[in-house]
Amino acid sequence: MSAIKSVFSDSKSAFIPYISLGDPNYELCVDWADALIRGGADILELGIPFSDPVADGPVIQKAFKRALANPFSMDTILETTEKIHSLHPHIPLVYLTYFNPIFHYGFERFAEKAKIAGIQGMIIPDLPYDTPETDELFKSLKRRGVDLIHLVTPATPLNRMKGIRDFASGFIYYVTSYGVTGERKSISADLEDRIKTTKEVFSLPVSAGFGISAPDQAKEISGYADGIIIGSAVQRIIEENGSNPSLCRKKLEEYAQSISGSLRGKNL
Amino acid sequence: MAKERSFTEKEGYFGDFGGRYSPEILTEALIELENTYNKLRKDKKFQKDLEFYRRNYIGRPSPLTYAEKLTKAWGGAKIWLKREDLNHTGAHKINNTIGQALIAKAMGKRRIIAETGAGQHGVATATVGALFEFETAIFMGEEDLRRQKLNAIRMQMLGAKVIGVSSGTATLKDATSEAMRDWALNVSNTHYIVGSVIGPHPFPTIVRDFQKVVGDESKKQFKKENDKLPDAVVACVGGGSNAMGMYYAFLNDKKVKLYGVEAGGRGSSPGEHSATMLFGKTGFLHGTKTLVIQDDGGQVVPAHSVSAGLDYPGVGPEHAYLHSSGRVKYETVSDQGALDAFMEVCRIEGIIPALETAHAFRFAKDLAKELGKKKDILICLSGRGDKDVAEVARLVGLSQGDLI
Repeated sequence: MSAIKSVFSDSKSAFIPYISLGDPNYELCVDWADALIRGGADILELGIPFSDPVADGPVIQKAFKRALANPFSMDTILETTEKIHSLHPHIPLVYLTYFNPIFHYGFERFAEKAKIAGIQGMIIPDLPYDTPETDELFKSLKRRGVDLIHLVTPATPLNRMKGIRDFASGFIYYVTSYGVTGERKSISADLEDRIKTTKEVFSLPVSAGFGISAPDQAKEISGYADGIIIGSAVQRIIEENGSNPSLCRKKLEEYAQSISGSLRGKNL
Repeated sequence: MAKERSFTEKEGYFGDFGGRYSPEILTEALIELENTYNKLRKDKKFQKDLEFYRRNYIGRPSPLTYAEKLTKAWGGAKIWLKREDLNHTGAHKINNTIGQALIAKAMGKRRIIAETGAGQHGVATATVGALFEFETAIFMGEEDLRRQKLNAIRMQMLGAKVIGVSSGTATLKDATSEAMRDWALNVSNTHYIVGSVIGPHPFPTIVRDFQKVVGDESKKQFKKENDKLPDAVVACVGGGSNAMGMYYAFLNDKKVKLYGVEAGGRGSSPGEHSATMLFGKTGFLHGTKTLVIQDDGGQVVPAHSVSAGLDYPGVGPEHAYLHSSGRVKYETVSDQGALDAFMEVCRIEGIIPALETAHAFRFAKDLAKELGKKKDILICLSGRGDKDVAEVARLVGLSQGDLI
C-alpha cells in the first residue's frame, strides 16, 4: 500500500490542505506548511506556481503571481519541499502542478528528484490520462512508488472513469463542481451519489475538492468522502495575513484545527 | 502496466504537436464538439448553410487584387493581395465564427464566449452572436481594450458583454485563460469559439477547416488570372489562423514557397517580441502541445507586439509542425518595420491594412526584391486597419493638425 493510501481509513476522513509554494516567498511557505500540519493536515498538497493556471480561480492565480515575483526554479521548489518533508517526514506530500514546468525539467529527472525531496503523489490538472505523455510519466512515477492522482469531475462519464482507472493510484481527486478552484456557498445535491459511484469504479479513496471552505461543508462532505481538499480558503488566509508571519501561522493552524476537527471520525 | 488505450494516439496531432491537454472538466465538451463536427462536416445541409452565409453574409469570395502600385514601388516581384479585409466585419475572423456558430446551434448551446486580442475575433463573434441570437461574452485584456477601443465598442453595440481581463499581462494570453475558466464553469450551455488555430483538439482542426476557404479561393483566382500558381505566399502569424487557412491549399504544391511572419517587436530579449518560432521551445499552453516562449523554469514569458493580434507567446500546433518539417519558413518583422509598412501601404496602394498584416507586407517588400520581376507573391491581407488608426497615429506621432 502506498504511503498516501495508508492515510485513509473507513473510520475517518482525511484533511488535505493546499498551499502555493513560494507565496509570499520560499522561506515563509515552509512555515505555512508546518502550521497546517500541526493543525491536523493528514496530507499536504504543494502547488508549483505556473504563469497560466487555467484550472484555478482568482485566489490561487494571485498566489502564483506573488510566488512568481520571486525567482522561480524547479530546484528551489524541490529544496523547499525537502525542508517541509524533513520537518514532518510522516506526512505525505503531493505536488499539484501544471504540466509545462515538469515537462520542461524532464520527466525522469523530475520524478527522481521529487521522490528524494519527499513527494509521494502528483496531481496534474492539464494532463488528461489519454495522452502519450501520461503513459511515460506514469511509468516513471510508478517505478519510484509515487502516485499519479487523477481528477474526476461531474462531467466525467463512466467510460472515461474506466480509462482513468488504469493510470490512477493513491486517491481520486473528485472535483465537486463545474468551474475552477475557489470557495463556493452551496454544494451540488448529487455529490454523495457521484462520489459513491467514483469509489465503486476506482476502488481507491476519493477526496473531494473545489469550493469547500467552511467547517460545516467539510463536515457534511466528510460523511461520504474519504478526504477533504481545501485550497483557496487556505490560500486566502495567506493572502490576507502573509505580511504578518506569526499571525498567519496562528490563523492557519487554527483553521486547520477547525476543519480537521469537524471531519468524520475526528470530532474533538 | 497500462492496458490498451481507447484513443488513436495520432488523432488531433500534427507530427509531435497538438493533442488535448485541457482540464478534465472540459474534456467531455471537447469530445462532444469533435463528434458533432465530424458529423456536420459531411452533412450536406450544414455545408449548404455555411456556403449560404459565406456568400450572402460575409461577402465571399473575397477578391484577389493585383497591387500594381506597390509592385512598382518595391521594384521586384508582382504583389497580389487576398482581400480578407473586405469581408463583413473587416477580417478573416468571420470565416471561423460563422462556422463555429453553426456548430454551436447544432449542439443546442445558447451562449457563446470568445477571447480576443485585437478585437477582430471579438467583433466577429459578437456579430454571429447577434445574427444567431446567442448570449455572447467576450474576454479581452485590459491593455488590449485600451489599444483597440473601437472594436470593444463595436462588440458592445452588437450586444456582447465585453469582460476586461486584468490578470497576468492583460493581453491575449490572459484573455484566453479567462475564457477557458468561464467555459469550465458554464460548459453545459456554452460553446467557446476559439479564434485561432490554437487550443485543445479539435479546435486547431476546426478553425483551419473554416479558414481554408482563403487558400482555396486564392488558388483558383490566381490560376484563373495567371494560369499558374504564385511563387511565394506570405501571411502574418500570431496564433496563425489566416496563415493556416491560406497555406493549406498550397501545402502539396512544393514549388510554392510559404512564409509566415511573426512579430519581432522591439528586440530579441524575452518580453520584447512574439517570435515563437525563433525563440519558442516545445511546451504546453492553453490545452495544446506546441512551441511556447518560456523561461528556463517552464514559465510562459509575456509576449510583446505593437499589434495586439500578434501578441501571443504560443502558436498553432500545425504551424509548429510546418516549422519543424521545413515546409513553411517563419520570419520576423519589428514593430517599427510593421509601422513603416502600414504607412507605406496606406499611401501607395490606398489600403489601410491591419497592423498584423503590415508585418507580412514589410517582409514581402524584401522578398519582392529578392525574387525579382518575373515572380509573383501572394499576401494574405488578413484584415483592415480601422481598429489600428488611433494607436498608429499615436505611435508615428500624427497629431490632429497633421491629420487635417
